Amino acid sequence: MSTTTAVTAPSAPSPTARERVDALRGPARTLAAFLVALAGFALLMLLKGVNPFTAYKDMFVSTFTDKSQLAGILVRATPIMLAGLAVAVPARAGLINVGGEGQLVIGGLAAIGVHLLVDGALPGPIVLVLMAIAGAIAGGLWSGLAALLRLKIGIAESVTTLLLNYVALDVMFFLIYDRWKDPKGSGQPATRPLRDSEHLPLWGSTRVHLGLLIAVAAAVLIYVVFRTTSWGFRLQVVGGNAEAARRSGLRVTGLVTSAMVVGGMLAGLGGFVQLAGAEFKIRSGFLVGYGYVGYLASWLSRHRPLGVVVACLFLSSIAISGDSLQLDSQLPAASVNVLMALVLLGVFGFGKKKVVA
Amino acid sequence: MNIVTEVMTGGIRGGTSILFAALGESIAERAGVVNLGTEGSILAGALAGYATASVTGHPWLGVLGGAVAGGGLALVHAFMVLSRGANQLATGLVVLFLGLGLTSLFGVTYVQALAPTFRPVNIPLLHSIPFIGKVAFEQDPLVYLSYVVVPLLWWFIAKSRWGVLLRAAGERSEVLVATGHRVKPIQYSAVVVGGMFAGIGGVHLSTAYTKAWFENMSQGRGFVAVAVVMFAARQPFKVAGGAYLFGAALALSPALQARGYGINQFALDAVPYLVTLGVLIVLGRRRAADAPEGLSKVFEAATG
Repeated sequence: MSTTTAVTAPSAPSPTARERVDALRGPARTLAAFLVALAGFALLMLLKGVNPFTAYKDMFVSTFTDKSQLAGILVRATPIMLAGLAVAVPARAGLINVGGEGQLVIGGLAAIGVHLLVDGALPGPIVLVLMAIAGAIAGGLWSGLAALLRLKIGIAESVTTLLLNYVALDVMFFLIYDRWKDPKGSGQPATRPLRDSEHLPLWGSTRVHLGLLIAVAAAVLIYVVFRTTSWGFRLQVVGGNAEAARRSGLRVTGLVTSAMVVGGMLAGLGGFVQLAGAEFKIRSGFLVGYGYVGYLASWLSRHRPLGVVVACLFLSSIAISGDSLQLDSQLPAASVNVLMALVLLGVFGFGKKKVVA
Repeated sequence: MNIVTEVMTGGIRGGTSILFAALGESIAERAGVVNLGTEGSILAGALAGYATASVTGHPWLGVLGGAVAGGGLALVHAFMVLSRGANQLATGLVVLFLGLGLTSLFGVTYVQALAPTFRPVNIPLLHSIPFIGKVAFEQDPLVYLSYVVVPLLWWFIAKSRWGVLLRAAGERSEVLVATGHRVKPIQYSAVVVGGMFAGIGGVHLSTAYTKAWFENMSQGRGFVAVAVVMFAARQPFKVAGGAYLFGAALALSPALQARGYGINQFALDAVPYLVTLGVLIVLGRRRAADAPEGLSKVFEAATG
């Protein structure tokens, strides 16, 4: 045995830099990628005449020592978690849902629609439940549209979900500027706010709301469903090899549709929790960008439901630290997207061993 | 100006940024790489073009700057996908965020800045052709550039030796290897050149169409470009048709409003995206079959 190993073992000259990088494992690689990303962003800040050390210190201090900012991370992460799960479930069946953005908005719109329709005729808790159901159904229908186009006509769902995001946005603008505009509003286009009884309960005196629990529970539920149910197993078979799944008698059409619809329902629920837990009305800019961050969070966690929760907290922290960039360093808040992108590039490109394409 | 002329003139004007981006995406997809970061390249090109034009006073230098910026972002995508084996559809969105962030970081100073812009130039003789002259030959120089680029690119892809290599890289890379060509450099060039085209599209957006720079001004045009490329089957002339169709849908809203039609603006704003979806639906089944093999792997993960 030992002779065979000696023959087949690759002759190892001194390792190149790339081989050294490839030799790092798991968390160490991710950490290294993160540090390189921080360094890259530091260089850009230097270019803009900002001292990166002070800026990073301010970002860290204001984001992780301020109680209200910590709550902000959790509040921000809540809908993103559901948007991330909306990517992870279809991804298990090999589908790419880039439509979380639109499904969130449609879910939020359906929820406020329930509020407007009920118009105070029912007690708050019942309205909340109805809003949640409506949000989930609307999100599921929106993503189901992409599944339908995929299965009936053969258009890639990655492209249709993207286009539907913009349609959803226009539906929202139409409603908040026109049909559902609050006549008593401050002139800024927005719907009427929810009644106080229709708000999700808050955690103590913080801004953190029940939606966080809903999102984490959804992640745990999907984790369990993936591991223990035959549906979860079948999705994985379809995602692995759809043709083989079909030949072994699985109803691929039904499975693909269900994965996509469940994904959209989760995002729709995300729209509801943001509405009933954080914003209480729909205004322009409702959840803009959250769906895409959720999409990236799902890829970051390799579509593992519990990993999505962690990835969302991580990405939300970066996003919240953008506030400090604006307040303390006078850089536009959106420039924090550069830091986020660099971190993601590091993790996607170097976080695991190179896969030869 | 009657409404048909107005919508078609506006269609070419508004469709040109998408046309450039979609031509670029066609090149990348021919080599087997989908670049959702096209959206980011448009943004980068829009800012770099506007900033360069503003600083130097020459809009054509802006075109150069925009191409470099768009190509630079695409290089990031190419490196991640081709050299690090990262997923194309995930990396593309990261590249978009990179573009969003970079343009926001470096764009603040140019939000209020003035820059020399591309103005319409009437082409002698041609512009006096009834209807067509008004629609096609009273446009800005970048539009005329696109008129030249479309047939050139068609010739390049369909007829030239380089085009054969490009298509082989996306469809039968093993043939390239067998004939002693290296696949990666071809794919790298395709993605980067594709990004440069998207960058030029961005320059048209900021220096000819809106004549201003503002954050996230591309508003999904890069994604639309990817969709257009899909239903146009990566063929330059069909890409032009798709891009102009989207542009015409964009032009419909102001044209109707100017005439006092009581149609909701936001319903009209959704029309371009719905039209794009509609064309995909009509042509979808036919097109899915003739995608390069390398692309099918990206788009057809499940269900085939």
